[in-house]
Amino acid sequence: MIKKRFNPIKDKSSEIIEFLMSSPDIPEDDVLRFKLRLSIEEAVDNVVRYAYDGGIGWLEVGTKIEGDSPVLVIELRDAGVPFNPLERADPDVSLGAEEREIGGLGIFLCKQMMDSICYRYEDGNNVLTMTKKIV
Amino acid sequence: MNVNISNQEGKTIVRLDGRLDTSNVEQFQQDIAPLMQGEKPNIEIDCTGMTYTSSQGLRMFLMMQKSVMSRGGKMVMIHMNPQVKEVFDITGFSNIIAIL
Repeated sequence: MIKKRFNPIKDKSSEIIEFLMSSPDIPEDDVLRFKLRLSIEEAVDNVVRYAYDGGIGWLEVGTKIEGDSPVLVIELRDAGVPFNPLERADPDVSLGAEEREIGGLGIFLCKQMMDSICYRYEDGNNVLTMTKKIV
Repeated sequence: MNVNISNQEGKTIVRLDGRLDTSNVEQFQQDIAPLMQGEKPNIEIDCTGMTYTSSQGLRMFLMMQKSVMSRGGKMVMIHMNPQVKEVFDITGFSNIIAIL
């Protein structure tokens, strides 16, 4: 896995996103890159903004290619407050502007753009794994 | 993200260029501040050059839509590229904001 640990991460979202997007594991196809950038931004920004009180802490990100299909795997690991973003209810996308709340869209977009997204709490770390088949 | 605001025949034209993401959303909010005041605004957002938006951008457009509605005005987004449109479709924002 190609990976890097960023520490501290306060205000570092862009740098972390660009590190992942420049990985040789990320395909060149523009349509796919759009979906991957969106998923990466939402997942990274979630950790940078909310995982640590005051944003002081680390985030390790990485990519790898698995299988013959092949499948791109993107992993995020942090030691912040235990938080499973997948437990949050999806926003009600049928509501009008007045009722719509500002928030809750990020992880929902990840779920829509990626093939799978999994969360586990391991050795005191939040680990988020997202996969996308790349053809 | 470049934001260019001009007025034409009583209509406010907002031209967007580039990516709207977490790196520039705060600047964007400052750039659109002039659009958040005045009665019965008539705003057209030209998305020809907008190549990307994340949920940070969607929040801004929702905020604008709510503000415009509360002032009895209207807002329309035009020339949105297919991938940005997909983000609006998936999140139901296509039903909240007029897209031509």
